[in-house]
Amino acid sequence: MHIAEGFLPPVHAVAWGVASAPFVVHGARSLIREVREHPESTLLMGASGAFTFVLSALKLPSVTGSCSHPTGTGLGAILFRPPVMAVLGTITLLFQALLLAHGGLTTLGANVFSMAIVGPWAGYGVYRLLRRFDVPLMVAVFFGAFVADLSTYCVTSVQLALAFPDPGSGFWGALGKFGSIFAVTQIPLAVSEGLLTVLVMRMLVQSSKGELTRLGVLVTSVAGRRTAQPADAEAVAR
Amino acid sequence: MLPIDAAAHSSRWRRRHPVDKAVLGLGLTVLAISLPPWPGAALVLVTALAVLLGPAGVPGRRLWRAYRVPLGFCVTGALTLLVRVGGPGGFVSWAGDGPLRAGELLLRTSAASLGVLLFAFTTPMSDLLPRLVRAGVPAPLVDVALVTYRMSFLLLDSVRRVREAQAARLGHTTRAATWRSLGGLGATAFVRSFDRAARLQTGLAGRGYDGTLRVLVPEARVSARFTAASVALLATLVALTFVLERPLS
Repeated sequence: MHIAEGFLPPVHAVAWGVASAPFVVHGARSLIREVREHPESTLLMGASGAFTFVLSALKLPSVTGSCSHPTGTGLGAILFRPPVMAVLGTITLLFQALLLAHGGLTTLGANVFSMAIVGPWAGYGVYRLLRRFDVPLMVAVFFGAFVADLSTYCVTSVQLALAFPDPGSGFWGALGKFGSIFAVTQIPLAVSEGLLTVLVMRMLVQSSKGELTRLGVLVTSVAGRRTAQPADAEAVAR
Repeated sequence: MLPIDAAAHSSRWRRRHPVDKAVLGLGLTVLAISLPPWPGAALVLVTALAVLLGPAGVPGRRLWRAYRVPLGFCVTGALTLLVRVGGPGGFVSWAGDGPLRAGELLLRTSAASLGVLLFAFTTPMSDLLPRLVRAGVPAPLVDVALVTYRMSFLLLDSVRRVREAQAARLGHTTRAATWRSLGGLGATAFVRSFDRAARLQTGLAGRGYDGTLRVLVPEARVSARFTAASVALLATLVALTFVLERPLS
């Protein structure tokens, strides 16, 4: 869930922007270096950004019976790494603010911090940790996406609680209020996003080993057995 | 194309320079969050609405369809301010100043959203992004954003068609089938985006691609009159807020 335009007081909006800036600048510098060394990467990065944008637009059936949208941060971080996701996430959030009226420009810093920085880093950290202990790929992918989704909403709760402390119990009371509202809706959604990410990854392993190897998700020995055919995944999907 | 961008392409102010519209639209947003909500944000809200529906010529129906999204979030968020946790009233009780705080927040967010919508409904992304290079954003970043923007529409269209194909094959009849179809949809989006990037790369390589994407940007000049009028309007709003603040409080 994005924090809407004007929701945060000016000081908070600026502070979250300042907190996000080093991560985005670091990601942007590595992206610029990559593009200068390999000009063709521009198109690949653009495609990755478009994929992230479209992934966040997919409607996800929620356990409560309603629909919601995945954040896409877990899958994005596993595929493209967190520093790149900081930039792609910022671009995606900017487009969502201007093209879909989701989020906002004054709250861009806060939304970037939760969705493009903390979510990807937390999800990727859990994914890498589980893979280091030889946990199966799909289990690691599930927990990576689950943690990325949940941590995004935890940070959003903290941001809102800091901006609107409870009159009776201050920050902790407000955190409990926002956290409990999010917990009811977001824990089922985080499970849903984890499941969806596993399904997507399973199909990608079947059909796009070449791309996954290029991105470093799969090791070469596994991918070497078969060349990726883009049409395969479409056939499976249809 | 997404509805807001489609409206921006056919906007009355389409030919105006993005700086003109940024001064007005984003200026209203800044005022909405920095002035006292009453009467500051209320004045900004009325002004933004009047400009959107009047001189900018945004159809009311389209505006409402875009506006109700942030409005829904604002209302949900504001509801939490109505209650307090702990204190003499019990674990959860009504907050005494809750309605006032919620009302102020609603005023602020709805006014700020209209300011950004004024900019978004009159400025197509394709006019804005290439000009960011002149504003100091590194060209490779702008190029990535441009490719993302253009590829998003193609991918959204692909996803819509794949979803229709899945529905025609009873792919959404049961919960299990819906999940399977969704997984396929996500995987297809990934594969198609990479496939398109590879084909675009091949096509551009044949045209002497050197790493920079040159695109035609419609000619437009910053209008000193429009910008001055916008600044005057913003200054009037600030002055009115301070004049009316005491009598209306």
